[in-house]
Amino acid sequence: MNNSFKEKAMQLVFLLAACASIIAVILICVFMFGNGIPAMSKIGIVNFLTGTLWEPFADVYGILPMIVGSIYVTVGAIIIGVPVGIFCAAYMARFCGPLQYKVLKPAIDLLAGIPSIVYGFFGLVVIVPIMKDIFGTSGKGILTASIMLGIMILPTIITVSESAIRAVPESYYEGSLALGATHERSVFATLIPAAKSGITAAVILGVGRAIGETLAVSMIIGNQAIMPDSILSGARTMTTNIVLEMGYATGIHRQALIATGVVLFAFILIINLLFTLIKERSARNE
Amino acid sequence: MEKNRLLKNLKKTLAVGAIIVMAASLFTACGNKSDSSSDSSGMTGEISVVSREDGSGTRGAFIELFGIEVKKDNGDKVDKTIKSAEVTNSTAVMLQTIKGNEKAIGYVSLGSMSDSVKALKVDGETASVENVKSGDYKVSRPFNIVTGKKTNAAAKDFISYINSKEGQAIVDKEGYVSEDATDSYAKSDASGKIVVAGSSSVTPLMEKLAEAYKKVNSDVKVEVQQSDSTTGVTSTIQGVCNIGMASRELEDSEKAKGVKSQEIARDGIAVIVNRSNGLSDITSDQVKQIYTGKITDWSEIK
Repeated sequence: MNNSFKEKAMQLVFLLAACASIIAVILICVFMFGNGIPAMSKIGIVNFLTGTLWEPFADVYGILPMIVGSIYVTVGAIIIGVPVGIFCAAYMARFCGPLQYKVLKPAIDLLAGIPSIVYGFFGLVVIVPIMKDIFGTSGKGILTASIMLGIMILPTIITVSESAIRAVPESYYEGSLALGATHERSVFATLIPAAKSGITAAVILGVGRAIGETLAVSMIIGNQAIMPDSILSGARTMTTNIVLEMGYATGIHRQALIATGVVLFAFILIINLLFTLIKERSARNE
Repeated sequence: MEKNRLLKNLKKTLAVGAIIVMAASLFTACGNKSDSSSDSSGMTGEISVVSREDGSGTRGAFIELFGIEVKKDNGDKVDKTIKSAEVTNSTAVMLQTIKGNEKAIGYVSLGSMSDSVKALKVDGETASVENVKSGDYKVSRPFNIVTGKKTNAAAKDFISYINSKEGQAIVDKEGYVSEDATDSYAKSDASGKIVVAGSSSVTPLMEKLAEAYKKVNSDVKVEVQQSDSTTGVTSTIQGVCNIGMASRELEDSEKAKGVKSQEIARDGIAVIVNRSNGLSDITSDQVKQIYTGKITDWSEIK
């Protein structure tokens, strides 16, 4: 009697713990959509999503520059971060000796643990002056932010890709060698294609991290709410738009910022959906 | 076989080494380049305009004082700062940006000035505490505290300390411009906790005041929260904090909601450029034209 009561009670505790995160997600959704959707309909969804002017003091809210900015920066980060990340993962899984691995692995873990404000300051003090000297612009802009984010997404991409490459059965590698391929060819023509879905998952996780990053980006991108005309020009992303103006926004301005969050949320949702789809596909293949 | 592999490893190590050396030389090359270009005195090139975010009191005062803010016929004020101006949301990032870019121009509170950047004379007047006090340096703004309809005894006691001789001495010591004070602080029997919130420009001064106040009246606990001027005023209206901090004058719409402001100090706004910039003097009209996008190249400023 006593025991079964304890069991029931503990079951309830575990259930509540399991519900906590779900409740948090639901509350956030309710808050975001409850505040964001009315603003969107007041401004007009088309105006809001395709307007190129953001002038809160004139009550003009168009977030196309921020959407474009977010996409540019994320694509840039992927172009820079993905090749480096995959090559690094291949090196760690198949090329390096135990000694190099002992150095590399903790270094990459450390990279993942650095707070984004530190990345931002590093970007401001180191990358911005270098970019300024090379291109003769102010140094802040899409390219600078892309390089910074490219570095920031490395740990995610390396860790997930490495385990994907390691998960490929040894027989693939041995079979390739037996057919006369060199070690390099076996890795790049057999193992990496076999780990394709895992590596794609790594890239998608990287995209999620890049599009959501706020603090570091706000320090090095320039934050101009204009349509960027080149990769050197300054831009504002959806996240930095929110962080810059949330402190003092009131009324419809505040709702417009929350609506920006809703758009960002939709982006993240799509990315997570893709991630789940790819994972399912890879599970079926195995 | 074994020898071959060894050779291959060696080659690989060499290649990696070569890449590292190349990368390193690239970095040092860049370093040299910035050094050689920094000693040119006649500035040319496109001006990098740097501003603060919209809600900042520093920005509000800056655009008002230089006439960058234009009043429309219907009374609405429009901020004419060019859209291509970089936006930084803190004093530290502003200073670092100007320090790292010889073609940049920005503005910062005089109390936060550092030696890493250069303050320009505006209309021939040096940005200094003395010149702000005498009124020669025109680019200054008030540090206000904002109170709502109901102010409790503890908050009143703290305000009387700020306005006393002792309080204003701290204002002086911190490099701001003090108000005239005649009375000494007399401790009242008030006690409790008060929250002071708002402007990031006023916060450093307010923290010093709260620290000194703790020594003379330990019955009242003062908690200072940093956000920005607009948030400070809004919080006071909503009753979230007892005293708000604003580094600008109150808007009429804010006064209508029943808050009033009181000046506790003045602060100059310094127009800052990189130390390698040969310019030392600028007119207020030139500042206005730079920030509205009419002047875009340093060679246009003589």
